[in-house]
Amino acid sequence: MSCARIWTATLLCAWSAAALPAPAYAADLDVQVRGADGAPVRDAVVSVHLAARATPHPHAGGSYVIDQQDIQFHPFVAAVPVGASVTFMNHDPVRHHVYSFSPAKKFELKLASKQQNQSVLFDKPGIVPLGCNIHDRMIAYLDVVDTPWAKTADANGHVVLRDIPAGAITITVWHPYLRAPGNIVSRGAILSEGTAHGEKFAVPMRTPPHDPGTGY
Amino acid sequence: MGWNASFRTSSGRTGRMAVAAAFLCAAPACAADTPETGLLTAYANFDLAAFDGPRAWINDRDEIGGTGKARFGNPDGNSLRVRPYATEAGVVVQPDFGWALSGLVSVIAQHGQDKAVDVNEAYLRWRPLPFGTVHMTLRAGVFYPPVSLEHGGSEWPVVETVTPSAINSWIGEEVKVAGVEATFSTLIGDHRLSLAGAAFELNDTAGTLLTFRGWALHDEKATLLSYQPLPAMNGFMRNVQARETRPMIDLDHRVGWYAKLTWAPPGPFQIQYFHYDNRADPAAFDAELQWGWHTRFDHVGATLDLDGKTRLTAQAIDGTTVMGFPGAGNVRWIDMRYRSAFLLGTRQMAHGSVSGRIEAFSTRNHGSEVVADDDETGWAATAAVRWPLLRQATLLGEALHIESRRDARLREGVAPRQNQNILRLTLRLRAATRG
Repeated sequence: MSCARIWTATLLCAWSAAALPAPAYAADLDVQVRGADGAPVRDAVVSVHLAARATPHPHAGGSYVIDQQDIQFHPFVAAVPVGASVTFMNHDPVRHHVYSFSPAKKFELKLASKQQNQSVLFDKPGIVPLGCNIHDRMIAYLDVVDTPWAKTADANGHVVLRDIPAGAITITVWHPYLRAPGNIVSRGAILSEGTAHGEKFAVPMRTPPHDPGTGY
Repeated sequence: MGWNASFRTSSGRTGRMAVAAAFLCAAPACAADTPETGLLTAYANFDLAAFDGPRAWINDRDEIGGTGKARFGNPDGNSLRVRPYATEAGVVVQPDFGWALSGLVSVIAQHGQDKAVDVNEAYLRWRPLPFGTVHMTLRAGVFYPPVSLEHGGSEWPVVETVTPSAINSWIGEEVKVAGVEATFSTLIGDHRLSLAGAAFELNDTAGTLLTFRGWALHDEKATLLSYQPLPAMNGFMRNVQARETRPMIDLDHRVGWYAKLTWAPPGPFQIQYFHYDNRADPAAFDAELQWGWHTRFDHVGATLDLDGKTRLTAQAIDGTTVMGFPGAGNVRWIDMRYRSAFLLGTRQMAHGSVSGRIEAFSTRNHGSEVVADDDETGWAATAAVRWPLLRQATLLGEALHIESRRDARLREGVAPRQNQNILRLTLRLRAATRG
């Protein structure tokens, strides 16, 4: 990890802690996402909305970055708060023509090689698939969410969301290859004050189409 | 607080790449990648070859072509001959003209070809942003039709072996067009579909080599102005057909066409169907005695990834070519059917890859002047290792065994049945810079 990245991570974590002070009656939610075959589902976005209460608007401050390196977007899936400004940083020695035509955000960016400073404001919630007009194998997704509690699953399909107000909540799991309407499943849960609540999701996954990488 | 605002610093990049690679082509419309643009590439290939068998079809440009099926052959018989070669070198320029329009000009020099330097491919490519879910690519110029699943890259190299299959050797030596091609790709549910079509000229002699020489396995490429040698023909054809064929020529101003449909269902599998028809007038000829050959073929290609490292690739072709004037029963001088198929398995290793290929080929003649003694049957087996040395250097080793029978070899006093063995150690040097 470079010094710049450590600095960025530290800054963002500090911002995260300061943005929404933990309420005394908060609880933690521990979610495990697996496929129907039991394999962990990496990059699933787990988000929480409060039930029968207004969900606070997320804080959109801070900076968010989608890297382009080795002809790939990094990360593959990212959850960002509505109103976030996301910077697209091209680390490749070749150019990228990034675009999306999603209802949540239509845009295109022409990123010359090693150009690092183009940003896009995501002002509507929704799924934003990202592509590159030059490299079709470059695929990524932004989940622009309207809740302060959202996170992508790690390599073990594991997510911990902290400091959620106790009471009824709705948990949503989204993944681009989740086999369900809208690629989404959700369920309700009740969080008890001061406890850690665990939930396990077993979700059916689709197999994406194949691209053997042949060209001409 | 659950924000993963620090996602940029989350777990390892390699792992994320693997995930991304596993979920290729999800939402935006998809086609083959546009080649890198703005690049200037120079490359050179050097071979140390050991070979036996009959004289190669392209052995000596001062004589008629040999009856051998490989790039190298020993005219002294079945003893093993070892020779070093500078087999190919070239320069590829890929200029940008804005973000949607680019070009490619590939100029190459090849051992065994009559032109010291010539154009391999030259085209313009326009690829705007998708229209809705449909991604369109247009290209216009001189290019290979998208048949081969073994070639890839700006200079059209064979990726995993030194020598392409018989099918793709023929594409390289006789099936190159000058035309306009449109490709439309989209996703329908989880199925990726791609439809390509082209109108072309300058490929009226396709089928000449395949008829007179038969199938071959080699990495020679036809270029814009090149001629390819033909072996000994029968008495009638010697009087009406030039001794060398020019693959890129137009004789009748008829526009040919091809179409390709590619289907990638969910899963590690892709299949494509390709149809080609050059619509050449079989009775057209010029002062050089180059003839129009009405050549058509159907082709199916497929890939299956058994796991993240092992890929099976298969291609099969079935076609006909017709040439000359009609005689009794409306049968033309040459009416030849050709077929071939191969299966290639490649295993990616920690460093490089290993590959094995098996294939069969045949031709059958039903014309009035070229008959069964020009028929052939054969098969070949290939084993290859690809070993990247440096970013700019790759070493390949290959063993190729070909067996074939063709009665027409008797015209040169060569036995109809021939076995050939070719061992090649190939060093590929390649450097690219942004222009």
